[in-house]
Amino acid sequence: MTGITLLTSALILLVVGAILTALLSKSRLACGLVAFVTVLIASIWVTMTAWHALTVAPVKGTVLLTIASLNSSLVFTVDGLSAIFLLVTSLVAVCTTLYSIRYMRIYQRYSLVRYYPLLLLFFASVISVVSVHNMLFFLVFWEFMTLTSYVLVVFETDNAAAQRAGLRYFIATHIATVCMLLATVVLYARVGSFDFAALQTAMGGLMATSPALVHLLLGLFVIGFATKAGILPFGFWLPDAYPAAPTGASAAFAGTMTKLGVYGIVRVFTMFLPMSHSVTVWGIIIAVIGTISLFVAALTALQQSDSRRLISFNIISSVGYMWLAVGTGLALLRISPPLATVALLAGLFHIVNGACYGSLLFLTAGASRYRTGTCDLEKAGGLMHVMPVTAAAAIVASLSIAGVPPFSGFSSKWLIFQSSIVGGFEIPLLVFLAIVAIFISAVVLACFLRFLGTLFLGKLRVSPEVERREVPVTMVVPQVVIGIFCILFGVLPVVAMEPLHRAVSGMLPEGYSPTFASLFGSSPLTINLNISGASSGAWGAIGVLIAFAGCLVLAYLISRMGGAQTRKVPMWLCGEEHPFAEVRYPVHSFLLPFNRLFANIYPSIPMPRLPRPSAILRALNIDNWLYYPGLRLGERIIQAIRVTHAGVPQLYMLWVIVGAALAVIVLFAM
Amino acid sequence: MTFVINLGLALLGGPLLAGVVRKMVKARVHSRQGPPIIQPFYDLFKLLGKEDLESSPSLVLRYAPMVALAAILAAALLTPMGLRPPLGGYGDMIVFAYFITIAAVMIILAGLVSASPYSMMGAGREIMLHLAVEPVLIICLVIAAIKSGSLLMWDMAAWNYVHGLSINTPSMIIGGVALLLALQAQLGKIPFDIVEAETEIMGGPLIELSGPKLALFEWAFFARQIVYASVLAAIFIPWGTGFALPWNIAAHLLKITVIIVLVGLIDVVNPRLRVDQAMAYFFGVIVVALVGMVLALLGT
Repeated sequence: MTGITLLTSALILLVVGAILTALLSKSRLACGLVAFVTVLIASIWVTMTAWHALTVAPVKGTVLLTIASLNSSLVFTVDGLSAIFLLVTSLVAVCTTLYSIRYMRIYQRYSLVRYYPLLLLFFASVISVVSVHNMLFFLVFWEFMTLTSYVLVVFETDNAAAQRAGLRYFIATHIATVCMLLATVVLYARVGSFDFAALQTAMGGLMATSPALVHLLLGLFVIGFATKAGILPFGFWLPDAYPAAPTGASAAFAGTMTKLGVYGIVRVFTMFLPMSHSVTVWGIIIAVIGTISLFVAALTALQQSDSRRLISFNIISSVGYMWLAVGTGLALLRISPPLATVALLAGLFHIVNGACYGSLLFLTAGASRYRTGTCDLEKAGGLMHVMPVTAAAAIVASLSIAGVPPFSGFSSKWLIFQSSIVGGFEIPLLVFLAIVAIFISAVVLACFLRFLGTLFLGKLRVSPEVERREVPVTMVVPQVVIGIFCILFGVLPVVAMEPLHRAVSGMLPEGYSPTFASLFGSSPLTINLNISGASSGAWGAIGVLIAFAGCLVLAYLISRMGGAQTRKVPMWLCGEEHPFAEVRYPVHSFLLPFNRLFANIYPSIPMPRLPRPSAILRALNIDNWLYYPGLRLGERIIQAIRVTHAGVPQLYMLWVIVGAALAVIVLFAM
Repeated sequence: MTFVINLGLALLGGPLLAGVVRKMVKARVHSRQGPPIIQPFYDLFKLLGKEDLESSPSLVLRYAPMVALAAILAAALLTPMGLRPPLGGYGDMIVFAYFITIAAVMIILAGLVSASPYSMMGAGREIMLHLAVEPVLIICLVIAAIKSGSLLMWDMAAWNYVHGLSINTPSMIIGGVALLLALQAQLGKIPFDIVEAETEIMGGPLIELSGPKLALFEWAFFARQIVYASVLAAIFIPWGTGFALPWNIAAHLLKITVIIVLVGLIDVVNPRLRVDQAMAYFFGVIVVALVGMVLALLGT
């Protein structure tokens, strides 16, 4: 089996796994194990396909399905850009499924039939979305992804808040899908095909005759993708919906689905549009939208006290960085090929890193919830003393998202800042966006220091009935694996940048992008950014780390110089005796003056309280009208057949005789 | 050799200049004798030998002081101090800004882990102040980056050496002034010593630290003065161009001495501001710096 066959088999395997887990849902452990094994095998296959596509050549499969009336056929195609997303999806899928096996124990009251099958189908649809080059099937799989994730969001059936969040998500994403569908249909009407290549022709033709319509269509696509990516204000649903799902699924969403909004933008703007002035304009618009979103989301995150909500807002802000980078790349596409390549590469790199630290953050928050039963930063803290590995993973993920060197977020953010500051020499606006982005980087750091400081560091404070030990090993391993990637991409960014450069040059016209060595220097350890002949920036993680380690040794030697002794003492409270609870500094007053300044930055849209159409809710609750009736019908049929199996040997003999007689009669009658 | 010069300047020059300021500026203003110039060294060595009292057994607290000092020293290795910085080929202004941030983060972490209400309050203040002051540094460095066309700090300094201060480049003048206005807070001096505020929250994040830990933080603060003053001196203040080896370092030393004395003078004649007042002030400085950046983008 090679290339695309592997991908197709992986998809089939996932669907089979979904059916199996649905059948096994009574046995919680078996269900989880089957899901994990399925996802593991499928991910290995997908990884092999993607790696082949990235290192050798794009792979294109055969026609699997043809819809003649719509002139469309389903062909799986994996090019460099798809491959990047496939690799990320595989990693996240394996880790989150493994994590879920034990994590789902806290949902004893709920049936798993609404979890694993949908999770597997969700992964299957994500894989399909990025490997089709046909807008019709793209939208079909996109919709499939939305529906499966919707059911996962409303997993807690008796939680009214989760149901409300799910409804919001459902409505918001469907408006987005309608936007994209509308744009696609207009283009289809022009050329009579849904193929990406054909749509590009349609765009080109329209551009000449009616440019206003083209911009309208692009606007519809941008709204569609912005909604999925969680870009504010279209992503208003995200901070409610992500925390509502079980954390394993939230981590999967953060690692895969959110990033597809960026994937869509890159696809549409590099594949559908000829390189023209309008790409520059749209690039700037996308960069500005991204920057506004990252600014608002990060400052709102500072004010959250629920850890999963805090992470959700930071996911939005991190997607904002990706949009900033991709927008910068598109804006510079016509002006400066080297800069555009760097910016697009930075965007893709940030997607990879964002998937890693985004899902890792949810996993650590979930681990703390698994033990303490709460996500409220006020109610638990100091978990480092009982959960050291989870705490270490949380520190790695937090420092990554905040972009502290040498963790992964820094290398991609460094590229983003470089490309937008140097790009500012061409388009001045980009410098302002870069400054906002650098400032927000510090805000994100502040936000995660609060997260770490209250939940993991400091004095242990949990309710007395909590079991005080590390989470089970199947929940620790995924965190460690993703954490290793967070460190690897930070220390050796070239490892990831080299394949990403191949993906970027693959999606741009032939010979457009400069070679990797001419852009980033030939050293595998140091990036020497070279845009216009001279080096304009440098980042050598290993060199800096060695120097930093040297400084650290020096600092250690200084601290040991006096040979000071250590003695344990109680905390000093100016000589008075207080229990810890009395003097604890509450979370909400931590950044009070700063938060007051930005109190109203996140406009809360008053949702009109519609009289909730109960018919729709009932229709959306597939359990009630499809699953349970189906189950009952099956049970009734089985009951009817059971009567014949009484376990009395004479009865079976009688059946055999009756059967033989019938057979003889039939034979003679013929 | 540049390794030795930069590290030596940061480690030894910092406490020495602080001693000079105490003796020559503060004591003069207070009309008293003042301690000997090398008093800061006496203090540091005394602290290094003192008992280390641990109130919360945490790895973070044990290593935060070392990481803070190491981060400042790493930033010093990236800063041009009259010569090409030794780590210049491995990091640019963004890496520099992050090392500065790491040092601030260590102070914050130390405060958070100590879990004393005073230290928590101090840590919160450090976050807010850092968020307000950091953009000024970034914007000023971006102005220099726009002028020199490179994000490498040595290229910025080289541009400054060649072009100098001129009425034709008002953006650089504005950038230098904005950085000078922010320097006071970056060095934790009155009126912006809000984080430690000894008379109010008793050292803030440092309240639970003693012995070598406190010494390392104090030493990091001394070294930080040299690093910040060097950025201002090398990138925004001209003169000292084209001298031969010992003289360019001497010129740099002279420039940072003037800057630190000025900072000490402001420190001694002012009262402390509240944190919200300080933030309001720095938003003003940010606006000024942004004006400078617009001018730089317009090519002046």
